Amino acid sequence: MHLPTTSTQQVTPSTRRTCLSNGLTLIHQSLPTTATVVVDVWVRAGTRTEPDDWPGMAHFLEHMVFKGSPDIAPGEFDWLIENRGGMTNAATSHDYAHFFITVATEHLSTVLPAFADILLNAEISELEFERERDVVIEEIYSCQDDPDWLGFQALCESVYGSSPYGRSILGTEQQIRQRSPHQMRCFHRTHYQPENMTVAVVGDIDYHRALALVSEAFCNFPVRSECPHTSVQDLPPLDQIRRTTLQLPRLEQARLTLAWLAPGIEQLDQAIALDILSVILGGGRSSRLVRELREEQQWVWDIDCEFSLQRDTSLFTINAWLEMDQLERVETTIVEHLQRLHHQGVQSGELARTQRLLTNEYAFSTETPAQIAGLYGYYQTIADATLAVEYPERIQATTPEQLQAVAQHYLSPDCYAVTTLKPM
Amino acid sequence: MTQSLTHSVRLPNGITLITTENPATDIVAARLFIRAGTRWESPQKLGLSHLLAAVMTKGTHQWTAMEIAEKVESVGASLGTDASADYFVLSLKTVTADFEPMLALAQDILCQPSLPPEQVELERQLTLQSIRAQQERPFTVAYDHLRRQMYGGHPYGTSILGTNATVSTLTSDDLKAYHQCYFRPDNLVISICGRISSAAAIALAEELFGDWRVPPSPLPSPPVVTLPAQAQVKGIVQETQQSIIMLGYPAASVEQQLDYLTLKLLNTYLGNGLSSRLFVELREKRGLAYDVSAFYPTRCDRSQFVAYIGTAPENTATAHACLQAELQRLVTTPLSDAELQMAKNKLLGQYALGKQTNAEIAQLLGWYETLGLGIGFDTDFAPAIAQITAEQLQAVAIAYFNTTPYLTVVGPAPALETIEALAASELAQ
Repeated sequence: MHLPTTSTQQVTPSTRRTCLSNGLTLIHQSLPTTATVVVDVWVRAGTRTEPDDWPGMAHFLEHMVFKGSPDIAPGEFDWLIENRGGMTNAATSHDYAHFFITVATEHLSTVLPAFADILLNAEISELEFERERDVVIEEIYSCQDDPDWLGFQALCESVYGSSPYGRSILGTEQQIRQRSPHQMRCFHRTHYQPENMTVAVVGDIDYHRALALVSEAFCNFPVRSECPHTSVQDLPPLDQIRRTTLQLPRLEQARLTLAWLAPGIEQLDQAIALDILSVILGGGRSSRLVRELREEQQWVWDIDCEFSLQRDTSLFTINAWLEMDQLERVETTIVEHLQRLHHQGVQSGELARTQRLLTNEYAFSTETPAQIAGLYGYYQTIADATLAVEYPERIQATTPEQLQAVAQHYLSPDCYAVTTLKPM
Repeated sequence: MTQSLTHSVRLPNGITLITTENPATDIVAARLFIRAGTRWESPQKLGLSHLLAAVMTKGTHQWTAMEIAEKVESVGASLGTDASADYFVLSLKTVTADFEPMLALAQDILCQPSLPPEQVELERQLTLQSIRAQQERPFTVAYDHLRRQMYGGHPYGTSILGTNATVSTLTSDDLKAYHQCYFRPDNLVISICGRISSAAAIALAEELFGDWRVPPSPLPSPPVVTLPAQAQVKGIVQETQQSIIMLGYPAASVEQQLDYLTLKLLNTYLGNGLSSRLFVELREKRGLAYDVSAFYPTRCDRSQFVAYIGTAPENTATAHACLQAELQRLVTTPLSDAELQMAKNKLLGQYALGKQTNAEIAQLLGWYETLGLGIGFDTDFAPAIAQITAEQLQAVAIAYFNTTPYLTVVGPAPALETIEALAASELAQ
């Protein structure tokens, strides 16, 4: 049988990446002991690709994909896969939308063509569009009752301004009511094209079978369209301390979040250094901030530190849950810890321990086919799947000097965004 | 995962040890279950199990809190203790090479915690704060009230955290007494899964836990659930963006195995997945919600079957009527063959998908043993579900749902008024 492939690369001894002749990327890894297959389809059609005047579109479309195609009625695909003991779901972020299925191996050849069909030929009828709009609006309402969601939203707006990462993924109720099925079809036909898509297939299936099934299912792409302009706004420079305060009803504890902008995937080594720093500062009971602020001083109810890798501009945050009257001294203490990091850096023992922890966490998070497919799909979508494999080596290669330099460069004690949530 | 690689043995001091070999990854997971938990707490000391779980890893006769944290975090392992309604568990996950020293640390924590008073005080304050923070989320507020209505003073009626009043009075001595009473080898189930042979796992467990002696005192029995006489309606006014509506029906314990499995299947039909009845009818067709579902927790004593929906305040009365109508439909209308087969396929498919990692396998088998079902329940599950008929489903629906449910609604005042009036008239009938 002739298969239309253009190039294949080994990502690991058991993982292959193939670019099909139409431009679609397939990533395959065989895990024969699982008896299931995961197919995770990643599309470079996240919130950041939305036209300026179409906020909320990428996420709303993710909902509408499950409403079927001209050949598959609403609910039919859900029934098809769940009736075979499988499951499906999807998620949208700024850099991507992704859709995944898990099924027992013997059902893949039945389910995959239908899955590809709803993705490539989403119908987006007027009637279903209006019905689903109510569901998306309910989703927005439920998030508005969640103080942590509101806080994170305010933080992103403060840090990213009107650049793409500052935009709400859900959009507002008013924005969602302004979207039309016509606009959505245009957005879909613009972005759901082979060169924007990666299909990760992991599980009890060999490479040739995966290639044949994917090539056959993912061939009828929509007629191309072109969306209105998406302008690229520059990031507002974070050259001072930028404060935002929200007063919320029913709040039982205050929140304090400090945030710094960080490099994207192109500077992966620096991003990895920040990942390590986030664990040294706030990962686990023996980390610097948890130890001092939660365990010893007891000024916070909890504190953590997070590094979120994104394609262009990542985010480094320190989050504390605390009483109102502790806000000031906790912020001061965090800043002192950053100064210490700038001046004294990191001990080699502290680094070695953190490297081991992150390497093991990597092993723990690549146990199932779904985790592995997600990892490859994500890295391929924002850059290159091979980076996913290099992560543990790069963690091990980081030195204390690099960490100190990265801390000095990115984690300024004088320039950061701070968001505070206070009870009304 | 083939069960032929699973073995269960009883050590001479009464410990049940379950081992499952799985060489697929370089990871070993262990779960150490104690038959204790909320269910055994007295009404004055609710929250005791949770507080013990919070303090337990914070000191042993050999190590301080910080030394324990450093030991675990320096090898990148995970080790934690958790309490639940029907059990207490220590969870451990390591790369294979670190398993032995980490299980030794787990033994020290489980058998000889020092429960330092200053750590008890710190975690007690943190728990009191968590109890307050639960009030921030409308869903939690609604469930908290529903649970209290349904169980009255029984420990199942309160969150695992306990209440402000009970946690305020808990002391280090309470924790010590609780630990002394329930933490003993004949009340312990150890479940290990990963790249370790059964022989090696058994030898290791015997070496670490073999000297632990059973005390002469008998194990106390937990109180039995007695339900409040009549279902109630509870409205909680909050100026939220959404109303949360929750219906609760008293439901079978896991010991009533056939009813339990049948209710699990009904729960799958109603609330599990994108093709579930509530999702299709209330979300896909009517656009009433983003989140609408049902849940039926596995409990040693009387459980509860809960259906809920979050909806715009103006839809509160409609959503409530639709939700209740779906439960009543199960009473009056048998499932079609296609619906029945679908629910079975979905339940069994998801059951299989829930046993992928070493931690999931160790948890499931250890949990079945702790609940008194035995590890054979895992292999019996699929054939038992396959045999359930539409008539059985309807009979169970009649037995449990043909009654006025407990009802809790959280939302703005106008939304609550209509529903309270409606529910009150139903109760009066």
